[in-house]
Formats: sequence, C-alpha cells, structure tokens
Amino acid sequence: MIEMKDFSFRYASGKRNALNNLNLTIEDGDFVGIIGNSGAGKTTLTYAINGIVPHHYKGDFYGAVTVNGLDTVDSSPEQIAAHVGSVFQDVDAQMVASMVEDELLFGLENFSVPREEIEGRVAEALEQTGISALRHRDLDTLSGGQKQKVAIAAILALRPRIILLDEPTGELDPQSSEQIYSLLARLNREHGTTIIAVEQKIGLLCRYVKKLLVLEKGEVMLHGPVREVLESSGRMEESGIHVPRIVSLHKELSGLGLVHSSAPVSMDEAETMVREALQ
Amino acid sequence: MKGVLNYIPGQTVLHRLDPRTKLILSLMICVASFLSGRVSFLIGLLALNLLLGAAGHVLPQVLRILKGMAKACAVMFILQVLFIQQGNPYFEVIGIRITDFGVRTAYMVVLRLLDATIPLSLMLMVTRLTDLSNALVVHWHLPYQYAFTITTALHFIPVFFSDMQVISEAQLARGVDFDTRNPFRRFALMAPLSVPLLVSSVKKTEQAAIAVELRGFNLRTRTSAYKVTRMAGADWAALALGAALIALSVLMNTL
Amino acid sequence: MIQFEHVSFGYPEHGGAVEDVSFTLKKGGVTAIIGSNGAGKSTVSRLMRGLLKPVSGRVLLDGQDIAGMKISTLAARIGFLFQNPDRQICRNTIEEELRFTLRLTVPDPQRREACLKETLEALQLDPQDDPMLLSRGEKQRVALATAMVHQPELLILDEPTTGLDYRECTRIMEYIETFHRKGATVVIVCHDMEVVLDYTDEVIVMSGGHLIRKGETAEIFRDAETLRAASLLPPQMIDLAGRLGGEYSGIARVEEMRDAIVRSRKAVRA
Repeated sequence: MIEMKDFSFRYASGKRNALNNLNLTIEDGDFVGIIGNSGAGKTTLTYAINGIVPHHYKGDFYGAVTVNGLDTVDSSPEQIAAHVGSVFQDVDAQMVASMVEDELLFGLENFSVPREEIEGRVAEALEQTGISALRHRDLDTLSGGQKQKVAIAAILALRPRIILLDEPTGELDPQSSEQIYSLLARLNREHGTTIIAVEQKIGLLCRYVKKLLVLEKGEVMLHGPVREVLESSGRMEESGIHVPRIVSLHKELSGLGLVHSSAPVSMDEAETMVREALQ
Repeated sequence: MKGVLNYIPGQTVLHRLDPRTKLILSLMICVASFLSGRVSFLIGLLALNLLLGAAGHVLPQVLRILKGMAKACAVMFILQVLFIQQGNPYFEVIGIRITDFGVRTAYMVVLRLLDATIPLSLMLMVTRLTDLSNALVVHWHLPYQYAFTITTALHFIPVFFSDMQVISEAQLARGVDFDTRNPFRRFALMAPLSVPLLVSSVKKTEQAAIAVELRGFNLRTRTSAYKVTRMAGADWAALALGAALIALSVLMNTL
Repeated sequence: MIQFEHVSFGYPEHGGAVEDVSFTLKKGGVTAIIGSNGAGKSTVSRLMRGLLKPVSGRVLLDGQDIAGMKISTLAARIGFLFQNPDRQICRNTIEEELRFTLRLTVPDPQRREACLKETLEALQLDPQDDPMLLSRGEKQRVALATAMVHQPELLILDEPTTGLDYRECTRIMEYIETFHRKGATVVIVCHDMEVVLDYTDEVIVMSGGHLIRKGETAEIFRDAETLRAASLLPPQMIDLAGRLGGEYSGIARVEEMRDAIVRSRKAVRA
C-alpha cells in the first residue's frame, strides 16, 4: 500500500511545487493509470514512490510518503526497490546487458537472491511476459515492444509487490502498446501485483486499468474507479486533458438526457450505450 | 560502425573459452608481434589471426577491419619509407633516399600494427562484455563499479553513433551543406552538433543511473555474479599456445 | 508533386526496409503514412526527403529525380521534422535557431524577416528563449518552427505528436493545418489514428515494407480488412459507426454521431 499525507515537493531548481499537498492512498492489488498534461507532476509522482525523490533529486520535501510501511525519506532507494519495481520510458537507457538472460540476472545478482532460486525466477519472469523464446537473444536484435517486455521481465524477476511504469508505451506502436497493457492487466489479475502506470494514451489506459488518477498542476484533480472519473470528463476536457471519443459521446448523450448508464471504456460498451440511447 | 567491435553470438570453441583466457591470449599475440623481428613470423601471426577469425566464425568481420585499416597502413608505410634514411639506397629522388632498411622497417611496422590490432578486436567479437566484466570482477577483484562503467560505455557506443546519425541528418534537412566533399568544411559544420549530442547523452546517462540504482547496483559485491566461468582444458591449451608463440618469436630473433 | 516509382530500400543490418513502393501525391494535400513499427513509414519519409537514396526505383519532385539534387539545396523546398526535438535544436536562442534555417534557405533578406516574424507569432514563441530549457512540447514547437520557417512547398513530419500531451498535440496540429491552408503539401507519419482522422485527407498504409493501400482517410478507416493487415485499430467513432451500420455507416465524428442518434429518435417517435 502506498500512502501520501500532505505531501509536497519542490525541486531544488524549481520555482513552484512540482507536487502540491497530495493526500492519496493506493491499495494493494490496484491497477492505477496516471494521466495529466506535461508539467502536471506525473513523473515526479513516480519518483516520490520509488524514492528517487528525495534521494536522487534533492529539493524541499514536505509531508510523508510511505510504501508498504516504509517511509521513503528514511529508507534507501534499494530498500524501497525491494517493494517497488520501476520501468522507465527510455527502453535503451535502462538496459545494462547485451543478452536477455543477463538483463534479468543483473537485479537478481545485486539483491543477492540465493543462487538455487535464480534459475526458477528467471524462467518464471520470462514465462509471465511471454518471452521465454527470446532468452538467449541479443537485445539489439529485438523490437521496441520486445525490449519493453524484457525490461518488465527484469523487474518481475525481483518479485516486487508494486510495479511502477513511466510511459511504458511511449515509443511503441498501437499493437505493441496493447500487448504491454494486457500483460500488465494479467499480472494484476493473476498475481495481485499492484500496478501504477503513467500514460498519455488514455483510450488504451481506460480499457485496462481499474482506477484513474488525474493530475493537474501538481495536484490531484480526480482519483477513483475509471468510470467514476470519466463521469467528470467535462472537467478534464476543460483542462485540455484528452478524453476518449466514446466518452465525449457519452457526455453529449447524457447531457441530452438520452443515456443514464456510466461512461463506456470499450467499444462494446459504447455500442450498448448507443442502443440504450436509441430506445 | 555496427558489427565491427560488437559481440557476434556463436557457439564456437573461441566463444566458449574463459573470458580471461581470451584476454590473455590476445595480449600474448600482441606481445609476440612486438618482440619478433622476423617477417616470416609476423606473416605467420597474421595467418594465425585469420585462422582464429575463421574458427570463431567472424572472418568476414575481421577482413572488414583489415580493409578499414588498409588506408592507415598505406600512409604509415609511405611515411616510414620516406623518413628512414639509413641503409643502402635503392634510388634517390629530390634528395630523399629510398633504402632497403627503410622499406623493411616500413613493412615490419605495418605487419606489427595489423598483428596487434586484430587479436583484441577479435576477442571483443567472441566475448560478451558482461561475461568479461564478471570474470574480471570475480577472479581478478576488479572493482565492479569500474567494470560496469567500461561495459556501459562500450554498450552506449552504438547508441551514440545512431544519435549522431540522426542529428546530422536533422541539420542536413535544414540545409546545412554536409554533403560537401571538403572534409575540413564538413568538420567545421559538425562541431556545433556536439551540443544536442551532449544533451541527449546526459539525459540517457541520468536515466540509466536511476534505473540501475533502483535495480540494486549499489548493493552488488564481488561475488554477486551468477555465472562464474572456470578454466578448462581448452583454456590451458590456449594459454600454452600463447606462451609458445612468445617463446618462438624470441627464439627466431636469435637464430 | 511527389512521385515514388518502384522504390526499394534496405538497411544493411536493421529493419524498416521498403520494397517496390509506388505512389503519387498531389499538390496541396495532407497525407498520413500509417502502419506498425518497422513497416517502413520512416524509411518512406526519409526517401522522400532525399536523406536516403533508393536502391532501385526513383523518387521524383515535380517530375525531377531527387537523387540528382543535393540534400542541402532541397532544404529550401522541403521542410522535415524529426521525431525527437532534442536532436535538432543546437542554438542558444529561438531566434538564432530560426535565422539559421533562413540563412541557408531564403536568399531575400526582407522575406527572411517577414518569415521570422510570422512564424514566431503563429507558434507563440519568444525569440529570446533558450530552446534547451523548454518543456518537451515547447521544444517540439521550436523544432517545427525550424522545419517550416522558410515556408517550404512540402513539409514532412515524422511522428510530430509522439510524447506530447493532448493540449500541445492539438496546438501543433492546428498550426500545421494553418500552414497547409496557405498552399503547402503536408506528409505526416503518425501512430495516433484520431489525429490522422482529424487532420489528413489521404492515407498511405504500410505493412512489412509494402504499400498495401492508399486512399481517402475515412474510407480506409472503414476498411476493416486493410486495418487488420496493418495491425491498426480504427478511430473510435468510425468503429462505432461500423458496428451500428445502416444510416450511421458514414459517420466519423462525435457531433455527427450525436446528431444522427437524435434524428433517428425523432424519426422513431414520428
């Protein structure tokens, strides 16, 4: 569980608080999508969870952030990393090895996972991400989507209870992006892993996550189950935050009093919504 | 750039040797080439290098390196011939004597250059950097931080080159005359591009540093590595071959 | 304006090769090139700009083979925006950055000043800002400015909206549209199908290095088979209209859909 209490942070070089007075809780087993415009504090929020703030980026830290009971200020990034695995947007920058298997070994070796346990963990992580066949391949020969799966597998092997991803599909095409999110949804469903993902592609996000967290200028604008948040799509549109078109249509139709059900997140639901409006 | 110094995956004898063996053997071949004063030995060594390339299934890459070095070798050769004035002159042009000693020294230098460059590049082609750094850390107690810095730097070279490619394309697209044939003008035009290259590299390094920190980099100790290589019969045989080469080079000098 | 005649190109060691691609783009159009990663989209855009030379076939600009022209002289006629703004910005101020492009492409000093002023205003840029210190979205606007400040006839954009938030994305696309209305031909490589639907009138669909279809944007998005072959999803309203069928099948936008629903309710009641 992640808890933030009256949490504010200002970078040493910043003019205003990157995050301002955050009070929020992310429960075990949640799948949260974080959206917001650039400068809203999305990346800073991920840094606050994995301890990069305040351990790597210094600044004015007020309030408290706890991850599974660990206070992030008092714990080292490595201690936090045992609970939270982080995947970054720049796939190439986070790779350390030249072969898939070695990439997975890196973290396992560092955290002194017992030798006899390593083989099992590697095989399992590759299996869960569906890339067992790539085990002995060179990273240079993989596509962007495959590399991102390797990055996720390398984190999975460490068995964190929480996985944090900053725009994991930023450089991927629609099909590979879809694959990454269906993989994350499966991990969340089958293993109860808490997943927190920053994402620009809101349409994609809505189809997979359980909750949305909308940030605006360093503050929480909306936070809750996807459908509840989408009920306020008008507020999001006003702030220039992208809303899927089927949600805009829902807003139009419910404004006219034609539909009363909650906002659709998939095309099937959108079709049902229109049929309801036509009754 | 790609494919010349990069690891080429394979299952050959060379690939399976201990990284330490490969490092020592390649250094031994270099030493032998510097110790030897015999043309026949140096030519033999070149042949051995090519043979090793073939054994590691990387002969095309080795030949590509040879081809790449041809120009540098030609320049070296000419300079040596022109500057060395001792020995018996073959003929003389505008006060410069071309001597037998000069010509001999020149091709010895060129042969040594080739003999000494190929083994190290060959070693990089048949050895994974992570295996090499693991071996050096575990067995030779090289601090992991140093080993990691070196392997990461080598790892980033191709990324760096592809960045450079895009940056110069971007300038070209704006009308910078990179397609000029004049190398000096080209260089002058390239200079300002170091700024965006630096910016993107710094960003990448920063991301990389954060990413490895969160994967427990600072917790790592000498014995963390999972795959530990051991010396086997083939390794000792390879080292014996290296020692024999050095002995032979010295022996041939005294004959 | 641009014509590809049986163009093939293969990278020696990477993906992204294209094979036997032929098409013609008319003057004044906005064309999107779509397809999954590695389908050859960026390769086509680079071939069009002359940054890559075809292995076989020809790329013609107004009937002339561009292989014979210098890449740097083509700059005056073709603007090109790369994916990552960090890699194309290298001056200390926005003004210097733009003057740099102008100096190489516009001979007339008076026109240079006019171009500079117009672009700064249209893209709401402060000439004295340091481009390095801007946000990703602002940098992208500067990069776009450098690609088109000299008002080229053809503007090629390689994923102009990737990594931008919705607000910046809209801003950039609106500006590209304004520029197009002044008579320029625009080619966009894009992953976001909603952007493609909103801003382009024609698309080229690439898959595995081949051009598999070219045609009017909305029409292609209604062709489920082509989209499947290229592993693409249709924009939501077109998908929805297709599911509903009948009188809805021509709809592409939210407002059209809303109005059609209201109309059919009235019809039913009447």
